[in-house]
Amino acid sequence: MLSLLLKSMRSRMIPTSLVTISLMASMVLLLSIERIQKGAEEGFNQSISGVDAIIGPRSSSLELVLYTVFHLGRPTNNITTETINDVKQRSDISWLVPIALGDSHRGFRVVATEPNYFKHIRYGNNQPLTFSKGVPFAELSEATLGSDVAEKLNYSVGSEIQITHGSIESIGSKHDDFSFKVTGVLNKTGTPIDQAVFLDLKGYELLHLGWKSGKKVFSLEDIDLSSLPPDALNPKTVTAAFVGLKSKLTIFNFSKNIREYPEEAISAVIPGIALSELWSIVGLVDKGFQLLSWIIIAISLIAMVTLIIASLDNRKHEMTIYRANGASPKFLAAMVIYESLVIGLVAIIGAIILVTAVTYFATNQLNLALGISPSFKWISLNEIKVFGIILLSGVLSGLIPAVMVFRKNLHQALS
Amino acid sequence: MLQTLGLEYHYQHGKKIVFPEIEIDRGQRLLISGFSGCGKTTLLSLIAGALKLQIGNIKFDGQDYSSMSSLLLDRLRANHIGYIFQTLNLIPFLSVSENIGLGIRFSQSRKSRVGNLNQEINRLVDSLGLDKEVLNTPVNRLSVGQQQRVAAARALLGKPDLILADEPTSALDSDTTKKFLNEVMETFDASKQAIIMVSHDASIAPYFDSVIDFNKHYA
Repeated sequence: MLSLLLKSMRSRMIPTSLVTISLMASMVLLLSIERIQKGAEEGFNQSISGVDAIIGPRSSSLELVLYTVFHLGRPTNNITTETINDVKQRSDISWLVPIALGDSHRGFRVVATEPNYFKHIRYGNNQPLTFSKGVPFAELSEATLGSDVAEKLNYSVGSEIQITHGSIESIGSKHDDFSFKVTGVLNKTGTPIDQAVFLDLKGYELLHLGWKSGKKVFSLEDIDLSSLPPDALNPKTVTAAFVGLKSKLTIFNFSKNIREYPEEAISAVIPGIALSELWSIVGLVDKGFQLLSWIIIAISLIAMVTLIIASLDNRKHEMTIYRANGASPKFLAAMVIYESLVIGLVAIIGAIILVTAVTYFATNQLNLALGISPSFKWISLNEIKVFGIILLSGVLSGLIPAVMVFRKNLHQALS
Repeated sequence: MLQTLGLEYHYQHGKKIVFPEIEIDRGQRLLISGFSGCGKTTLLSLIAGALKLQIGNIKFDGQDYSSMSSLLLDRLRANHIGYIFQTLNLIPFLSVSENIGLGIRFSQSRKSRVGNLNQEINRLVDSLGLDKEVLNTPVNRLSVGQQQRVAAARALLGKPDLILADEPTSALDSDTTKKFLNEVMETFDASKQAIIMVSHDASIAPYFDSVIDFNKHYA
């Protein structure tokens, strides 16, 4: 039967190939949507990695994540350096990186931090931050740029930049009395890090020496910086701090202790949980993806059923001849079932190979272009279920012409 | 072997045909002739079990068509009847030998009557005047005359009890018709088989033991 089937399919090479290719295109679309959806969610949840907790002024965890990870919104409160130093003394802490937010440079947020930010903060699947050019800042007059900032503003190592007070660029609020020299540009990460300008906390404090209540009181040009006492540039407050713990098992205890810190109202947020919560809020995109997937499945099914029925229609005469020679309904049903299975399996295997090859070879390009890393895997359980439904529908639709052969009068069919 | 009893057929367009009674035994060769549209092919389809009986009955070796399902009639046809269709009904993408082999593919009883399939196909092809070199050629590359012989070989393979032939010579010229009929009759095994042929060409009557002329029947 198999040789008869293969010969029959070969005789209908063009329509059979077209059905297979159309079906494969639908499957590719379905798999791509599924993997991009997963990639987008994973990418979002991995906007920051390697950080066990974020400490900030007591507020909602989403608010804290929004301005510390996504650089969105404004922190309403700061935490004192004493508190940060206190927390740093805890035995369960491995490292702590404070950050101060609030200023910007030509629309890009400024993150004032310590050089060890680039050592501890990771992105994606625990990938370290790497430099495309130069090195991290080491002096208070140096700056490091995220890749998008350097690319869009055409900066490179050695460029001089000035910072604007606040997040909106406006005349008169520029810190035009001090310039920072770019020492390094980070590689693209596909996270908000790409759109940030990194300064030393002391440099940031220096910028604000002459400012009081959001207004410039005196210019840095009017004072002798060398005459400043050594601790004058130690920040009094920071916006938040990223924390790495020695053991992840202590995270909930740590979080509880921070919440109960008696000297200041602070809280600790677990980024993974907060990001998942945030994703479920902004998850309309996710729901949109799911809806799109189901629409594609429905269209694929309709297309496949139509194509198989159309292509098998011209097989009715062939099947009628088999019947005239005594072929049983079982034989004819097996012929169409096997054909539908061959078409469906070739389309599914082809689509899996194509999508997997693209995700395998183009992950870096996709990540650079869109900030999405489609998950590399052969096939998921959910995909197997969907393909099962599609194969079953193909087989059932293939049975229609076979049933029609038996319902139609043999005499009419052969004449 | 075969007997028709009071067969009538009502077409959808209103025409009604009352067929003459037919009785045929092994060794007999019957020609049914008549003008086009007089119901010859319909009668053959009823005998082959390819068309549902409306009025009357057919008995084949004691089996009543009226009590058999279309599936059982399909089995009866596969096991006992070799049918040469007017439209040939060959599978275009299969080779000549594969098309001939279809005749016994679905019938164990006909298969059991063929010792060596290749030898039997060679014998049939040879006796029907086909060149052995065409055996592996796709059937759609053959002339109509050659295809006619392939259809005949398929119907004859496995020595079915009854051979039904529907205008098998309609596309052939008179010389080829004679040659074809000679070849078919030579392959015909009078001890085991019977043949009913339908043709509008009354000149082939000498090849048959009896003739039913539908023109006279309806006159």
